Amino acid sequence: MRLDGMRRHALTDTVDAVVIGTGAGGAPLLAKLAQAGLSVVALEAGRNHDPEQFTADELTAGEIYWLDERLSAGAMPQAFGANNSGTGVGGSMLHWGAFCPRADPRDLRLYSEQGVGTDWPLDYAALVPFYEEVEAFLGVSGPASYPWEPARRYPLPPVPLNAPAEAMRRGCDALGVRTSHAPVAAVSRDFEQAGHGRRHACIACGYCHQGCRTGAKASMDVSYLPLAVAASAEIRAECRVHGLERDAAGRITAVVYREDGVDKRQRCGAVFLCAGAIETPRLLLHLGLANGSGQVGRNYMGHVATQVWGTFEPEMRPNKGFPASLISEDMLRAPDADFAGGYITQSLGIVPVTWSDQVARARGLWGQALVDAVDGFNHVAGIGINGDVLARDENFLELADEVDELGMGKPLIHFGYGENERRMSRHAVRFMTAVWEQAGARDIWSMDRAAHTIGTCRMGREGDSAVVDPFGRSFEVENLWICDNSVFPSSLAANPALTIMALSLRTAGKFLSK
Amino acid sequence: MNVPVPSDPSMSVFCLHFLGGSAQSWDRVMAQFPSGLRGVAIDLPGFGEAAAGPQGYAVADMADFVAARIAAAAPGRWMLAGHSMGAKVAAVLARRAEDGQAGLEGLVGLVLLAGSPPAPEPIEAAKRQEMLRSFGGPAALRDDDASRYVEQNVGAPLAAEAARAAAEDVRRGNPAAWRAWLEGGSLEDWSARIGVLRVPTLMIAGEADMALGPAAQHRLMAPHFAAPTLVTLAGAGHLLPMERPDAVARLIAAHAAGAATGLEQRYQALIDGERMSERTRAVLRARGQPDEPGSPAALSAASFALLRAVAARVLPQPEPAAIDLAARLDAQLASGPGDGWRFAALPADAEAYRLALETLQAAALAEHGAGFVALDGPRQDALLQRAGAGALPAGALQPDALALWFQDLRSDLVRLYVAHPATLARMGYSGVFYGGDGEPKPGFAALGIGAREAWEPQSLQDATR
Repeated sequence: MRLDGMRRHALTDTVDAVVIGTGAGGAPLLAKLAQAGLSVVALEAGRNHDPEQFTADELTAGEIYWLDERLSAGAMPQAFGANNSGTGVGGSMLHWGAFCPRADPRDLRLYSEQGVGTDWPLDYAALVPFYEEVEAFLGVSGPASYPWEPARRYPLPPVPLNAPAEAMRRGCDALGVRTSHAPVAAVSRDFEQAGHGRRHACIACGYCHQGCRTGAKASMDVSYLPLAVAASAEIRAECRVHGLERDAAGRITAVVYREDGVDKRQRCGAVFLCAGAIETPRLLLHLGLANGSGQVGRNYMGHVATQVWGTFEPEMRPNKGFPASLISEDMLRAPDADFAGGYITQSLGIVPVTWSDQVARARGLWGQALVDAVDGFNHVAGIGINGDVLARDENFLELADEVDELGMGKPLIHFGYGENERRMSRHAVRFMTAVWEQAGARDIWSMDRAAHTIGTCRMGREGDSAVVDPFGRSFEVENLWICDNSVFPSSLAANPALTIMALSLRTAGKFLSK
Repeated sequence: MNVPVPSDPSMSVFCLHFLGGSAQSWDRVMAQFPSGLRGVAIDLPGFGEAAAGPQGYAVADMADFVAARIAAAAPGRWMLAGHSMGAKVAAVLARRAEDGQAGLEGLVGLVLLAGSPPAPEPIEAAKRQEMLRSFGGPAALRDDDASRYVEQNVGAPLAAEAARAAAEDVRRGNPAAWRAWLEGGSLEDWSARIGVLRVPTLMIAGEADMALGPAAQHRLMAPHFAAPTLVTLAGAGHLLPMERPDAVARLIAAHAAGAATGLEQRYQALIDGERMSERTRAVLRARGQPDEPGSPAALSAASFALLRAVAARVLPQPEPAAIDLAARLDAQLASGPGDGWRFAALPADAEAYRLALETLQAAALAEHGAGFVALDGPRQDALLQRAGAGALPAGALQPDALALWFQDLRSDLVRLYVAHPATLARMGYSGVFYGGDGEPKPGFAALGIGAREAWEPQSLQDATR
C-alpha cells in the first residue's frame, strides 16, 4: 500500500500509542485512534507489499507468510506459516480466506449452556454494533436473508457459487440440511472504500490465500490501514519489536524494535499488542511481562477444521471462484451431537500445491498413487468445517531453548485434541461424507486438521485467571492493551477475523472513552 | 483437443555429431539415457562409418541423408540432438518438419549443443586455414593434428581412452567432407530459410567454448527459436557429448520429458499470453529451466544419491524424469527460508534429512546387506512404507521421528513437483492464468460444475481417456 505521503514521527516524540502488528487486531483500532486525533505509530515486522505483485505461484506466496521457525509438539503438531500466520503490512489478513461468519450467541456462553468450556465476559449484543460497522465498512457480500439470523443484512449481494459450492448445496439439499451463500469479505461489485478508493469486484481467481491482486478481498492494506494513514497514522514496515521499556511504576514508556539491524526506541503513552496468538504471548513471556495470572501462553486453541474431499465425474476445477462460497450453520448445535458446541460447514475451493501437499502429508499417499491423485486435481472438490475447540491444560505455548536472531526463544506450541474435539471431528466426517455421497462424489477421503491460532492471552473479568479485561486491557500493566486472537477465552465455531476486527473497534472505543 | 499418445511410450532421439566426429561421439551420452529414451546416433556423410560412403557434403545434402534415415525408422514421436555442425543440420531438418515434409512427422523437441548457427559461422580465417591444412589433405599427415584438435576444443582434458577415440574419429574423416564444411557448409546462410522455429528447443553451451559458447548461442542461435532454453555447462569446452556425457544425457532426458506430450507447447502459449502476470511468468520460466547437474549443497554426495533414489519412489516420474526433485530439495535445504515450522521432535530440516537418510541406509544394510540405492523398487518401497509407519528400527532417528520426517519428505517433494510448469501442464491447470498486468484483470466467469472456459487447458488424464 502507499505509505510515501504519510505523517512521520520522531523517535524522541512521545506518541500517544504504538500499535504492534497491522492485521485484524491492529488495523481497525489504528484507524480509530488516528481518526480521534491521536498520534499513533504502527510497527509491522513484515514488509510493505504491492498487491499488484502478488502471484498465482504458491511457493512465491511464501513472502506473505510468517516463516520464522516455530516448533510444533503435542499429539497433533500444528503447521504454521501458510496454514495460519501472515506477515507484511496488513498482517495475516493478507492471506486470510475472507470467509466471515459472526460468532453464534450460544458459543459465547458455552459454559452456562453446556457446562464445559468458558463463557466470554461479553455477549452477542455487545458485539453486534461492531460486527455491523465492520461489515458495512469492508463491504461484506452475503445473502439477502441469512437463514440462521433472518434479520441480518449484508451490504453487498453474494459472490457466485463455484463448483464445490454447487456440489455441497446438492448434497445438503438431499439431506435436508440448510445452506446459504456465505458471508464473504470480498466485494461482489465495485466498492468505494473510504480512505482507499475503488476496490474492484472479485474476479473469482481463487487465490485469496496467496494475496488478492485486485483489492476485492478486504485485506487491511486496502481498508483500515489506508483509512488510518489518511487520518495521520504512521506505519513502519520491517520493524520487529522485541522489547518494552517501563518506568518505576511499571508503565510502558517506549517500544524497542529492530530495523535494518539497528535497535530503536519509540517513546509512547500506550501500547497495543496485536501480534497474534503466537507472537503476542511470545513477546510477553520473553519479557516476563503481564503474566501474574500465569495465563500467558495457556489455553492455546485452534479450530477443528476437518475436511472431506472427493472426486467427481465432471470437472470441478476447485481453484476457480471464491473458495468458500457456501455455508451451513445447521451443525452449530447438531441434533445428534455427542459433544459440546458445534461447527460451521463450508464448501472448499483450493489451489493445487496446497491440495497436493494435503494429499501427500495428511492422506499419506506416495508413489504412483500420489502422481495419479495430482493428475486428477481438476475433478476434486472439498467440504470442511470450523468447529469450537475447548481449552485444555495440555495445549499451551512456551519458549524453547533455541533462540532466533533477536535472542528470543522460539515458540514451542503443544497441541492435541481432547475427547470433545475427537467426537466433533468424527461427527463431521460422517456428515460431510454423507453430503459428498449425495453430491455424487467417489474416492471420498477425510483428513483431520486444525486451523487458526487462538487463545494464549485470554480475556476475563478477574486478573487472577485472565491476562486482559473484557476490553483487552492488561490487568497488570496499566497502559498495555492486547487485541488479536490471543484474547479469545474460547475459540468459537466462527472463523476468527471478523470477531477480532469487532473487538478491535470495541477496544479502541474503550481506550478513547477514558 | 485430443493428444495423440502412441502405444509405444518410448521416444527416439536422433543424434548428429560435430565436424570430425562420428556417431560414436554420442556413445557415452546414449548409455545414460533412461529406459524410455532410445538414442540413434548417425554418421554424417564423410565421417565415421560413412567416411567413404555417399558423397554430398553441403548442409542440404546432409539434411537429406538424415531425413531418409528418420523416415526409414518411422519413429512416431522423436527428437533431434545436434552437436556443432550437426546442430545446423538439425535446425534445417526442424524447419522441414515444421513445414510438413513427408517422413518427418512427429518431431517434438530439439537439442542443440554448441551449435553452429543457421547464419555463416564466424570462424577465424587463420583457424580455418589451419584446419584445411590439417584435415583437408591425405590422412597420413594428420595424426598429431587430430589429437591437438581434440585438445583445443575441450575445457579440461578428456580421459585417455575417450581422447584417443575422439582423435581416431577426427583422423579418419574424409578430407573432402572437411573441405566442404570449412569452405562451404559452415558459410552457407540458412537464417532466412529457418526463420523462427516453434519446436521446444534446448540449447546447451560450454562455458569455456571460445567460438560457440554461451554468448554466441545467445546472439546467433537463440533468435531462431520461439521459446528456447539455454543451459551453460560450467568449465566445459566445445566437445560437450564427450566432456559431459552425464549432464548432456540428463538434460536431453529432461527436455524429452517436457516435449513428450506436446501438452507443454500449448501450455507454454498460455504462459506467454496476456492472462498471466509478468511476475508469475518470470517465476514459472525460472522454475521450468532444466536442472543443471552439480554437487549437492546441503547433503553429502552419498546422502544425495540416496535422496535421489527415495524421491524416485515417493514421486515417480515417467522416464525420462522432467524434474530433478532431489536436486531442488537439496537446494531448498541449503538456502530456503523453510515453511515457518517444524516438528519439535525433529532437528532443523537439513540435519533431519541427513539423519533420516542415514537411518534408512542402516536399515537397508542390516536387512538386505546392500545400500538402499542398490535395492530393487519393491524392497525400497517396503522400507519406505515401514519408515512412514514408524516401524523401522531406531537408528540416527527414532522410529516416530523418522515417520514425521517421511511426512515432511512427501510434502517437500510434492510441493516442488506440483509447482513446476511441466506438472501444471500435465494437470491441465488453469488457475495461474488470471489477472495479467493490465486493467480490468481477467478472471473466471465459468465457475460451476463442469464449467470450462474455451481457453482452459485439459489435463493429460482427461485428454487421453
